[in-house]
Amino acid sequence: MNAPTDNAEARELALAGMGASRLRKEDARFIQGKGNYVDDLKLPGMLHMDIVRAPVAHARIKRINKEAALAMPGVHAVLTADDLKPLKLHWMPTLAGDVAAVLADEKVHFQMQEVAIVIADDRYIAADAVEAVEVEYEELPVVLDPFEALKPDAPVLREDLAGKTEGAHGKREHHNHIFTWEAGDKAAADAAFDAAPVKVSQHMYYPRVHPCPLETCGCVANFDPIRGELTTHITSQAPHVVRTVVSLLSGIPESKVRIISPDIGGGFGNKVGIYPGYVCAIVASIVLGRPVKWVEDRIENISSTAFARDYHMDGELAATDDGKILGLRVNVVADHGAFDACADPTKFPAGLFHICSGSYDVPAAHASVKGVYTNKAPGGVAYRCSFRVTEAVYLIERMVDVLAQKLGMDKAEIRAKNFIKKEQFPYTSAFGFEYDSGDYHTALQKVLDAVDYKGLRAEQAAKRADPDSPTLMGIGLVTFTEIVGAGPSKMCDILGVGMFDSCEIRVHPTGSAIARMGTITQGQGHQTTYAQIIATELGIPSEVIQVEEGDTSTAPYGLGTYGSRSTPVAGAAIALAARKIHAKAKKIAAHLLEVNENDLDWEVDRFKLKSDDSKFKTMAEISWAAYNQPPEGLEPGLEAVHYYDPPNFTFPFGIYLCVVDIDRATGETKIRRFYALDDCGTRINPMIIDGQIHGGLTEGFAVAMGQQMPFDAQGNLMGNTLMDYFLPTAVETPKWETDFTVTPSPHHPIGAKGVAESPHVGSIPTFTSAVVDAFSHLGVTHLDMPHSSYRLWKSLRDNGAAL
Amino acid sequence: MEVKLDKQYPLDVDADRAWALLSDLKATAGCMPGAEILEQLSDTSYKGAVKVKVGPAVAQFGGTVDVIETDAATRTVVLRGKGADKGGSSASMDLTAVIAADPQNPAHCTLNGAAAVIVNGKFAQFGGRMMVQVSEMILAQFVENFRQTALTLPAASQSSGTSVDADSAPVDAAAPEAPAKPTPQVATEINGLAIFWSLVKGWLRGLFGSRG
Repeated sequence: MNAPTDNAEARELALAGMGASRLRKEDARFIQGKGNYVDDLKLPGMLHMDIVRAPVAHARIKRINKEAALAMPGVHAVLTADDLKPLKLHWMPTLAGDVAAVLADEKVHFQMQEVAIVIADDRYIAADAVEAVEVEYEELPVVLDPFEALKPDAPVLREDLAGKTEGAHGKREHHNHIFTWEAGDKAAADAAFDAAPVKVSQHMYYPRVHPCPLETCGCVANFDPIRGELTTHITSQAPHVVRTVVSLLSGIPESKVRIISPDIGGGFGNKVGIYPGYVCAIVASIVLGRPVKWVEDRIENISSTAFARDYHMDGELAATDDGKILGLRVNVVADHGAFDACADPTKFPAGLFHICSGSYDVPAAHASVKGVYTNKAPGGVAYRCSFRVTEAVYLIERMVDVLAQKLGMDKAEIRAKNFIKKEQFPYTSAFGFEYDSGDYHTALQKVLDAVDYKGLRAEQAAKRADPDSPTLMGIGLVTFTEIVGAGPSKMCDILGVGMFDSCEIRVHPTGSAIARMGTITQGQGHQTTYAQIIATELGIPSEVIQVEEGDTSTAPYGLGTYGSRSTPVAGAAIALAARKIHAKAKKIAAHLLEVNENDLDWEVDRFKLKSDDSKFKTMAEISWAAYNQPPEGLEPGLEAVHYYDPPNFTFPFGIYLCVVDIDRATGETKIRRFYALDDCGTRINPMIIDGQIHGGLTEGFAVAMGQQMPFDAQGNLMGNTLMDYFLPTAVETPKWETDFTVTPSPHHPIGAKGVAESPHVGSIPTFTSAVVDAFSHLGVTHLDMPHSSYRLWKSLRDNGAAL
Repeated sequence: MEVKLDKQYPLDVDADRAWALLSDLKATAGCMPGAEILEQLSDTSYKGAVKVKVGPAVAQFGGTVDVIETDAATRTVVLRGKGADKGGSSASMDLTAVIAADPQNPAHCTLNGAAAVIVNGKFAQFGGRMMVQVSEMILAQFVENFRQTALTLPAASQSSGTSVDADSAPVDAAAPEAPAKPTPQVATEINGLAIFWSLVKGWLRGLFGSRG
């Protein structure tokens, strides 16, 4: 029953393990509309919640009258901050060491802030009752610009912090100042600049954007007053962390809190945090003893849940005359909105921004990030990237372009000159990161050859020489290094919990298996790829391996899925749990074959005698024996749990090249070519990698070319519907060309580095590089995103290039 | 979002009658499409409501109007209005309105209006792009109502003829004949369809005008 063939190669193929482009297990249910999302859940007696939100960005609440709403038939409760006060739940801690209002307490800090909640029999009654709640506001001056916020006479935004001069990350210098965080060696960087013959500087603004997953946030809270148990289905990228937080906030023992993340319709960082809506739904369920559903609409999602970026950056490079970088200095003013609710490892208020020395051997570097409060929604999450890495990569890649322009050097040449060389790995950067592995020169050359870089430059020169050319042609090049897989718990924790991850594997008597994980898929295809790792490690066909995630009552504790940490951290946990089973299986095989363990070799799906190929035991036979006749002294069963605390981050990299043609009459920009080479180490499923890269490039395209959250002077967010906020469809999306090299991570059990975020991180500066390149012969060194047609048309006019 | 308007509307009404109407807040409010004064709170403070309908969306702003200044000598009123809509919008307006006599023609005058309108919440977010156009439309309807109502008032001094000068009418429709009825012609609410049509016309004009 076990060995269809003796051919090892054929058996390996049949496993569909690592390296196989196995079709996604998830798709069968998604494409048939059989997914199971939070909003699909309907429980008996379930009530619905809706939220009263502030129309103004900064105001004192003078009065809330809920009588009219409460009098409406079908309305069960209307709760305000005053109602949550006795429970001490009107404020909650944030992941960044600040507090955030659950419901506005005396003051409103941003437009669309949660002011009151209504619980009613159905969604429609709840929405009507929201309109019946009367709130009287006394408007206060609105502060939207972080530079204005830091002026001495700026209005005090956070009155609750009055007199607090010490924040979670050190001294607060001003009433709207949150922290100043520094990395690197300032004295060394300053010395490098003092001595350098060439210096460049550039200011750039990385606009506020929103991850905008297709599924908005929501939950169904169900408190059982008889058992004292709380079960909550929730759109969370980190269900175990939610369980811990809910237990700490509510006082319900963690063993009686069950958090379930069912199918998640995209997260991209937006579903890491804990939002007031979740807390209110849980409180309402506890108070009323009935299930309460809350699902936000699109406008609420874009307006009030976590944004990303909003970094005002000043970069400086010092270099020799021939383009060797000597030093880097960066100053950032970070707009964190009304509450510091960034989702970063506790010790890093600016995330891993200090990866901003990029792929280059920079001898001296210093970065300083200043966090500031404004009257905007809180957030600052990693939108499809590891914490603040997108901002860091954007900064260094823009700066290298600016330096090349100043020196009249080619973009590719200056990069090759400054790359960390293959033989320098493991390489310790000026900021203290230890890069695990890389081969940037080989990858760069592969891309330049593939696109005929010289030919492109010649074509560009010809176009520039022609005054009647209808387009400006730009070539963007980015050679980025990501840092993912947070992370070593000696450096990274969330609320004190180390950022390890976990896996539990059970092999059943008949040779199939189930793996339960501390992560949660939101489209990454975990159910497909995790099974492939086990298939290769244990010789069990991936088809019969179930992968379960997201239910805290069954899965081992894990920190969740964000920052491309699933493969680098959980993927390692799987491999090591599988290896524990593998070791036990070997003992059983030796017992069954009546030989010494040392006499056995592993081959695809079986242990065989070194001396005799015909004597072997397959994994299926071993599984049966584990439950049927385990060796004496060995406990029955075939299971293992592994908690993996990574020794280091992983450092995937990529070389991206983009060619744009900008219409000189209209500013419309055509992405003629986009070539993306990614190196994510060992490749588990090439088809899924390609899919992830396509998705990441498309989101990068959205950010660079169109996404923005514009505010008017009163703090109204002018782009919070999909009519305004740019989500590209197949119509707008360019064609992507992908390529790869493989440089495994030396410290990861299977050498994998993580991939899903690289295309987002890497592509955004590539688009900017290409657009700016189109204008570079006119002396333009930088253009801020988004590169929309209107903005580019203005740039064309400003630079005398419009037709 | 803030919109600043500064408009001059020549009227075929003498300055005294126009001022008589303008200085009566309740009557003036009656000329504003969809607006009404519900209650007088003090000598200078009123409770009012404005209903705006654009397509299927109705916003009902309830709030207060305060008369900050009334100066008969210069025929000036300064008003401050504040209101909120249940659906999550709020608005405020500072308005200075002046009646200026026409030195050439005592039967005519000019209504000068300078307003700063601030809108917050959903109305600003969804309607932001059309705010200027919608405001202008509303004002044009208001001025037409104002003119017609003023004409029904008894003339203060000797009448100098009631000839209608079509050119002086601020709306592009031909001005109707002076009404014989004494009751003011007042729109009950702002007509969304008319606004829409006017916007389309304005947009088309802008489209071809700028290319010309």
